[in-house]
Amino acid sequence: MAEPNILDAGQLLDRLQRQAQTRRQFVGWGAGGLGAFFLNAAEAKTAPAGEALNFARDPSTPLSVLPPQFTPKVKRVIYLHMGGGPSPLELFDHKPVLTRFNGHDCPESFLKGKRFAFITGIPKMLGGQFPFHQAGKNGTWISDRLPHLERVIDDVCLIKSMRTDQFNHAPAQLLVQTGDQRTGHASLGSWVTYGLGTENQNLPGFIVLISNGGTTANAGKPLWGSGFLPSVYQGVPCRSAGEPVLYLGNPPGVSRSERREVLNAVDEINRHTYEEFGNPETVTRIAQYEMAFRMQLQASDAMDIRREPQAVLERYGAEPGKTSYANNCLVARRLAERGVRFIQLYHWGWDSHGTPTDEGLNVGLVKQCKETDQPTAALLADLKARGLLEDTLVVWGGEFGRTPMQDNHAGGEETKFIGRDHHPSAFTIWMAGGGVKTGMTYGETDDMGYEIVKDPVEVRDLHATMLYLLGFDSQKLSYTYQGLDQKLTGVKPARIVSQVLA
Amino acid sequence: MRNDPIVTDPVPHVRVWDLPTRLFHWSIVALVFVSWLSADQGLMTIHLWSGSALLALLLFRIGWGVVGSTTSRFRDFLHPPRKVAGYLKAMAGGEKPLHAGHNPAGGLMVVALIAILLAQALTGLFANDGLHFSGPFANWVSEETSVQATTIHGAIFNVLLLLIWCHVVAVGFYLFVKGDNLVRPMFTGKKPHSHVPAGLTLNFTRLYVALLLLVLTAGIVVWIVQQGAVL
Amino acid sequence: MSALAYLGCVGLITALGVGLAMQLRPPFGHAVRQFVGLETEPRANTDSFYAVRVAPLLDSRCAGCHGARMQKAQLRLDSFAGLMRGSRHGAVIEPGRIKDSELFTRISLPASDDKAMPPSGKTPLTADEMTVIRLWIAAGASGVQRVVAGAPSPVREIKLPEVDPRAVQKQRAPLAAAVTRLQSRFPGVIDYESRSSANLEIHAALNGPAFGDAELAALLPLKDRIVWADFSGTAITDASASALAAMTSLRTLRLSNTKVTDTTIRALAPLKALRSITTAGTGAREVALAALRQRGLAVYGGGDAQ
Repeated sequence: MAEPNILDAGQLLDRLQRQAQTRRQFVGWGAGGLGAFFLNAAEAKTAPAGEALNFARDPSTPLSVLPPQFTPKVKRVIYLHMGGGPSPLELFDHKPVLTRFNGHDCPESFLKGKRFAFITGIPKMLGGQFPFHQAGKNGTWISDRLPHLERVIDDVCLIKSMRTDQFNHAPAQLLVQTGDQRTGHASLGSWVTYGLGTENQNLPGFIVLISNGGTTANAGKPLWGSGFLPSVYQGVPCRSAGEPVLYLGNPPGVSRSERREVLNAVDEINRHTYEEFGNPETVTRIAQYEMAFRMQLQASDAMDIRREPQAVLERYGAEPGKTSYANNCLVARRLAERGVRFIQLYHWGWDSHGTPTDEGLNVGLVKQCKETDQPTAALLADLKARGLLEDTLVVWGGEFGRTPMQDNHAGGEETKFIGRDHHPSAFTIWMAGGGVKTGMTYGETDDMGYEIVKDPVEVRDLHATMLYLLGFDSQKLSYTYQGLDQKLTGVKPARIVSQVLA
Repeated sequence: MRNDPIVTDPVPHVRVWDLPTRLFHWSIVALVFVSWLSADQGLMTIHLWSGSALLALLLFRIGWGVVGSTTSRFRDFLHPPRKVAGYLKAMAGGEKPLHAGHNPAGGLMVVALIAILLAQALTGLFANDGLHFSGPFANWVSEETSVQATTIHGAIFNVLLLLIWCHVVAVGFYLFVKGDNLVRPMFTGKKPHSHVPAGLTLNFTRLYVALLLLVLTAGIVVWIVQQGAVL
Repeated sequence: MSALAYLGCVGLITALGVGLAMQLRPPFGHAVRQFVGLETEPRANTDSFYAVRVAPLLDSRCAGCHGARMQKAQLRLDSFAGLMRGSRHGAVIEPGRIKDSELFTRISLPASDDKAMPPSGKTPLTADEMTVIRLWIAAGASGVQRVVAGAPSPVREIKLPEVDPRAVQKQRAPLAAAVTRLQSRFPGVIDYESRSSANLEIHAALNGPAFGDAELAALLPLKDRIVWADFSGTAITDASASALAAMTSLRTLRLSNTKVTDTTIRALAPLKALRSITTAGTGAREVALAALRQRGLAVYGGGDAQ
C-alpha cells in the first residue's frame, strides 16, 4: 500500500496565503513564516549549524531524525522518575550527626521562614532509618535498602545537591519534567524529540511507562505533554501488560487490510480539511494515524517481554502479564534497542510522610526499594552488556527530597509509621551513561542533611547538562512562542555541571 | 621691542627673563604637581583640567620660543651637542661662562622637559584608567592603542621625575657650589650685572603678544579637548 | 660648598627620598629591595593549591587589568610575587586574615559599589571562585600547601563549539552528492553526526535482514567519514570484512546478532580510531575479541542473543 503523498509545497503556500487561518500560531506566523517552515524542511536535515537552529521538517514526518548541534555523548534518554520524592536520608545521604540528634526538637533555625507541606509546630529530628555502608571502588555511601544498585554503583554518578524551589508534588514534578512549575510548557521528552526526532519511525519517539497503582503522577498528563511545541512531540503512555496502547489493535472482525482502507478514507477527508483550513496539525494527525497503523505491528513486538529469555526476566524480576516497574524497565531496554529516543518511566509511592502504611519509611519505603532496586540495577547492567549504556543517558530521581525532621502531622511521636515531609532544599538524583563521570558523588549537604553546603545544582542546570550530553546548547534548543524564544531551561542562566562529565 | 635702561639699585641688576616666561615656568611647576596629585588620588576631572592647561602652556611656550623675548627664544639657548659638551667641560674646569638666559646645558634641560611634558600630555589624551575615566581621544583609537598610551603615560612620568630631579640638582649645584642663584631671577626676572655677559642687547616682546598667543593656544586646546569628547 | 659636599648632600636627600618612596609605595619598595638583594621574589610550587586553583582563577578574571598588559594600582595578580607584594596601597593579602585582605574585601563588595572588583561591566566572580580564594587566604595564603580543605571542585569550562556553517559546508562538500544519493536509496540509515560535523553515522539496525553485504558495499564511497555504525541484526557476513576495515574513521561499531565471525574481528585490527564494539550473538569468539580488548577497546560481547 503506497504511503499517501501529502502535499505540494508550492501549492500549499498559495493556499495558505489565500485562506483564513484559525489556529493562533498561524495568525502569529503568517503565511511567509509557515511557508518557510515547510520549504526549509529539506534543508534542516542536512543544514549545518547557523545562528538559530532550524528544526523544520516535512510535516508528514514530524519525528524524522535531525542531527544534534554538536557531537553528542548520548543518543537517547531513559528517565526513571520516582514520584513522591524519595528520601535521600534513607538511601544515599549518610548523616551520623543527624542520627545522634534523633528525637531532639528541631532547632528554630531550620523552621524559621520556611513553608512546609505538612509539618506543624516543632517537629522532632529523625535519624536515618537504615544502616549505611560504603560500596564500590570509591567508597560511595549507600544504605542497605539498595543491594542491587550497590553492585553497579561504580557506573553511577550521584548528585546529592539538587535543589528546587517547589515544595509540593505537582509543581515540583512539572519543574523537573518541563522546566517550569506551571503547566503549559513542553516536557523533557518533547524537547528532545523536537530537537532530535527519533530513529524508529514506526514507534513513538517519546514513550511513557507508568507503574505502581495505575495512578498517574500528581501533575498528570502535562508532565509528558508537549506544551507549546507541536502536539506530535508529546509522550505516548504505553502499557507493559496487555495491549501496549489501548485500542491500537483492530476490533474483532476487522482485518488489517480493512483497517488500511478505513485509514485511506480518513486520510482523504483530513486532506480536504487541510486544503481548506491549512492547519499543520492536520498533517501531523494524518502522519500519526499512519504511525499508529505501523505501530500495530511494531509496538506489540517491542513491548512484549514474553519474548525475553527466562534468565533475563529473572534478572529484572519481571512478570509478563502484570504492570510493574520491573516490566517497564525491561520494556525500556527493548525500546532503547529499537531506536526510541526518550523513554520516561514513572513509579509512584515515594512520598514517605509516615501517615498510611504505604507512606511510612519503615514500611512503604522498604516496599518501594524492593520493587525498584533490582530492576533498576538490572537495566543498567543490561544496557552496559549490550553496549547501549555508552550512548544512553539514564537519570533516576524524584521531584524533591525529604526533611531531616519527622513529619508530625498525623500524631507525631505516637505514630507507628515514621515519615518525613517534603524538602525542596536538597535532594539526590543519579545519572549514568555516556559522557557521565561514573563512580563519583557530586555535591554535599550539611550534617543534618538540611541545606546544601557544596556545589548546588538547580533543576535547570541538570536540564542544561542533559541537553549538552545530547549535543545541544540549551540556549539554542528553542521554540518561538508568545514572543519569547522558549527554552527548556527557561530564562534564568543555566550552567552545565562540568564536574559530573567524563 | 624696546630696550630697558639699566635700573640703579644696590647691586646693579639686568632684566633677563620676561614675565610670560617666568609665569610659564612656575605655572608648569604647579600644574605638574597638581596633575601628579590628582592622578594619585583619582581626581580625574582635575587631572584632565591640569593636563589640558599644561598642554596649552606648552604650546604657548613653543610659540613664545619663536616670537618671544630674546632669552625665551629657542635660538638663544639651543646649541649643538658639541657646544653643550664644551660648556660642561669648561664648568668642570672651574670656569664660569656667563649667559643671560639659559646656559647650553640648561637649554638642553628645557628642551628635554618640554618634550617629555608634551609627550605626557599627548599620551594622556588617549589614555584610559580601565574604569570610568578616559582621555578625550581614548575612544578614537583601538582598545590596545589606548592601553599602550596609558602604559607610556605612566612610564614617561618616571622619566619626568628623573629629569626634574636632574634639573633641581643642577640648579642646586649652581646655587651651592658655583654660587650662581638661578632661582631668584626666575622670580624677579633680573640677574646681577656681574652674572651676565657684557654688552648685552635683549629684546623683550610686548606683553599683548604673549596674551594673544596664550589665548590662541588655550583656544586650540579647548577645541581639541571638545573634539575628543564628541565621540 | 664644595662640589663633593654638595653631591654628598644630594645623595643623602635622594636616598631619603627613595626611602620615603619605598615606604609610601610598597611595590617600589619591593622592587628596590629585590634589586639590592635584600629580598627574593616569593614563589609558589607548581603543585600547590595556589598554582592549581587560585592562579588560573586570577589569571582569567583579574590579570587583564592587573598583569603584564596593565598594572592598575601597581598591582600584579598574574604571579605569586605580585599577589603577595600587593598594590601601591600595600598588601592585598594578609595570610590567615580574610577581613584584613583587601583583595577579598574588594571582590566581596556588591557589584554596585564603586570599589567592587572586577569593576562594573565585568563579570563578577562566582560564589565558588570566591570560596576558593577565601579558603586559601584563611589557610595561610601559602605557595606550598597542596590541599585546602573544603574547596569546591574545580569547574571545567565547558566551551560550546563555535561553528562556522560555511566551513562545515565545505567539509561536507566532497561527499555531499554521494550522501544525498545514498540517503534516498537507504532512507533513515545515513545521518550526519551533528550539525557542525561532516562525519557520518550508519543506522542500519532498523532495516534488519533487508540490509546485507551488498547494501554495505554501496556505502563504501562514504568510508572515510563514517564514525559510528550499527549493523546489529542485519544480514551482513564476513564478506563485508574488508568494507568495514576500510572505514578508517570508525569509532563505534555494532555487530550484534549478525553472522560475522572472527574473520571480521581480525580484519578490524587496522582501525586505529575504533573504541567500542558489540559482538553479542555473532560467531566471534573470545580469542579474537581478546586482541581488541588488549588494545583498550570496550568489547560488549556478553548479554543474551536476541
